[in-house]
Amino acid sequence: MTTPALVVDKLAYRYPDGTVALREVGFQIATGECVGLLGPNGSGKSTLLLHLNGILPDKPGSAGTVSVQGELITTANLEAVRRQVGLMFQDPDDQLFCATVEEDVAFGPSQLGLSKEVVSERVRRALAQVGLTGYERRTPYHLSQGEKRRACLAGVLACEPSILVLDEPTSGLDPRGRREFMALLREVPATKLIATHDLEMVVEMCPRSIILDGGKVVADGSTMELLDNEELMLAHGLERPHSLHHLRIDEPFFWKPPQQPGR
Amino acid sequence: MHIPDGFVDAKTAIAASALSVAGLSYTLYHVRRELPLRRVPLLGLGAAFVFAAQMVNFPVIGGTSGHLVGGALIAALLGAPAAVVVITTVLIAQCFLFADGGVTALGANIFNMAIVAPVVGIAVFRGVSRMLSGLRGQVAAVAFAGWCSTVAASLACAGQLAWSGTVGWAVAFPAMTGVHMLIGVGEGAISALVFYAVAKARPELVNDTPALPTRSFVGYGLLVAIGVALLAAPFACPWPDGLEAVAAKLGFEHAAKAPEAAPMADYVMPGVSSAGLATALAGVVGALVAFGLAVFLSRLLVKNETVPTKTNANA
Amino acid sequence: MSGIHFGHNHTPYAPEFRPTAGVRVPLAWLAPEWKLAVMLTLVVGTAIVPLAWWYWHVGAAVLLLAVALVGRIVLKPLLWRVLWLLPFVAGAALAAAWHGPTGPGWPTVAARGCLCLLTVLIFAAVTPFGALPGVLRRIGVPALLVTTMALMHRYLFVLVDESDRMRRARTCRTFAPKRRFNWGMNAEVIGRLFVRASERAERIYLAMCARGWK
Repeated sequence: MTTPALVVDKLAYRYPDGTVALREVGFQIATGECVGLLGPNGSGKSTLLLHLNGILPDKPGSAGTVSVQGELITTANLEAVRRQVGLMFQDPDDQLFCATVEEDVAFGPSQLGLSKEVVSERVRRALAQVGLTGYERRTPYHLSQGEKRRACLAGVLACEPSILVLDEPTSGLDPRGRREFMALLREVPATKLIATHDLEMVVEMCPRSIILDGGKVVADGSTMELLDNEELMLAHGLERPHSLHHLRIDEPFFWKPPQQPGR
Repeated sequence: MHIPDGFVDAKTAIAASALSVAGLSYTLYHVRRELPLRRVPLLGLGAAFVFAAQMVNFPVIGGTSGHLVGGALIAALLGAPAAVVVITTVLIAQCFLFADGGVTALGANIFNMAIVAPVVGIAVFRGVSRMLSGLRGQVAAVAFAGWCSTVAASLACAGQLAWSGTVGWAVAFPAMTGVHMLIGVGEGAISALVFYAVAKARPELVNDTPALPTRSFVGYGLLVAIGVALLAAPFACPWPDGLEAVAAKLGFEHAAKAPEAAPMADYVMPGVSSAGLATALAGVVGALVAFGLAVFLSRLLVKNETVPTKTNANA
Repeated sequence: MSGIHFGHNHTPYAPEFRPTAGVRVPLAWLAPEWKLAVMLTLVVGTAIVPLAWWYWHVGAAVLLLAVALVGRIVLKPLLWRVLWLLPFVAGAALAAAWHGPTGPGWPTVAARGCLCLLTVLIFAAVTPFGALPGVLRRIGVPALLVTTMALMHRYLFVLVDESDRMRRARTCRTFAPKRRFNWGMNAEVIGRLFVRASERAERIYLAMCARGWK
């Protein structure tokens, strides 16, 4: 049996002011899987993602463990973990902190200590992968939302991680930007965990889903089964995505046309 | 109070730049040792914040408007060393991009606004918030600190202008400090309002500024004292005349001007001391008035003490 | 003098500071280090050279004009900017009237100030800001200062946009009959801007760590 890419075991986290963010979260993700992480606002999704590359907690291993490619995250191997796990944040402005796109995409590889030639090769390749060749000298301030997201993805891909963790990648994108981004994501061969509210995307891209609510995993299984379960979805602040309506043609829609007078 | 090019002469610019470099090196050494890594982006964002805040113009009377300079406010929110770095960055950007403040006067401007203002500001802030308790005390402290830092910076500025010979001694001090005592009221008021808004929104931001260890504080105090003393030196010390003679020999001043340096000192002395005394007296009165205004403003803003604050145990 | 602007209520003149979407860089054939070096020489020279050396001042003015023409810089806003010197010059003139100056007189000081101001502005207009941190790093300015400057430039407009949005939202719920400036509201916006700036700084720190920042 091959080692799973990511193993989270009994992970708990409490904020400095006392609020509990995660309670005994546990799941496994196999290499090459694409998993959707769903849940209402405040369920602890973003906090969980910060645990996956060692940013939280301050002392790894204090309350539950996370293993990446079979290795437990400890204070000693943080650098190696961050090389393996690429995290893309919700607000692209937080992640694009350099003066030009080129500098920003080069940030990760240069922090890894690679030579200048290797860094520029990786930058070129990453920008080509996301379709932003020619944007090297552009300032992040003037990019559109979709271009910013793609530049963020390029910055993460330049580090060549084997696991990609994304926090709300399609929020705020127009439909075209969203389709383009999803097409890009499909091409990336890494293991993917996508935290999102975009249920239609989860149906299209993730065969498996995990639902998080109140800091606990409340469901973990096939996307179709979970998302089609209306009771489950409504109980956890979600809803049955519209694309699934087409799969059950005998189910009536929620919305009923108003009664015509005199009919 | 950004001094443009041409208003400070070579010797003043060099002396002020030397002091600024000393102060900056000391600060960077201190920051590199003490500042946790997670606060480094806060310096950059703090500088962007100061710059953005300075763009808001508060109308005063008639057509005039003023804006926040922010030395004391940033010192109260981020601590003095961070404030020095932040305001230096803002001044450098303003100098090279907007020519707001001359390139040759950069050393002087940094000394006045990035070193004197935050250091005086933090000293007054901590002193007054120890005297008056609670959020009201802190708001009054910020208001008074804003006033004091403006006046202190203007004192240094006046000294630099006078030492350069751009403006006469007897005029520089009263004029600059007089005007800035009024401007300082606006600065103090805006600083207090902003501080109160931050305290209302996120009280913990206001209470976790790192305390400056006494040793570092003494270091800063010494630097500021040296700088101010240097500018007051012509009152007593023959050394600046010697420096002017050297400058004359190097040919930067007209040979004709050199003999004027000596009679200038004798002639202006009695005028300066009486102007100096008058300024000092006005300063004391002004400070008392400003302190009263600060306390009054804090009472206006903080209606009741329901806004939660942690007591400043390590202030 | 300190923050007093006479007459108008506007943001400071910033011709090329706001990063332009296009990448046209005037005088791109000249490296930024050289532009900086030339500018510094001109400014420092103008500030210390005695006014009697008229050929220096005339030469500098001619050079500036040439740069402005080649770089196709609009001169009128620059000349407006010279008015910012007015308070200082007026102060110096008043002081001179009352009690004679011992150094160069106020006309000299005014002329030098103007020339240096125009030098800096014209060179700033032909040098994109993005080049500056690299140059400063190479000449040995401490890394912390350069990083702070780079982050300041990156997030300045983000913060300005945020404060504009906050002010707009606040104004929508202000029912004052006239459009009067409200000190309290503007101070509150600045205060909330600080809170947002520190929260953003925290997230930027996390993003930097996630990509291996040491």
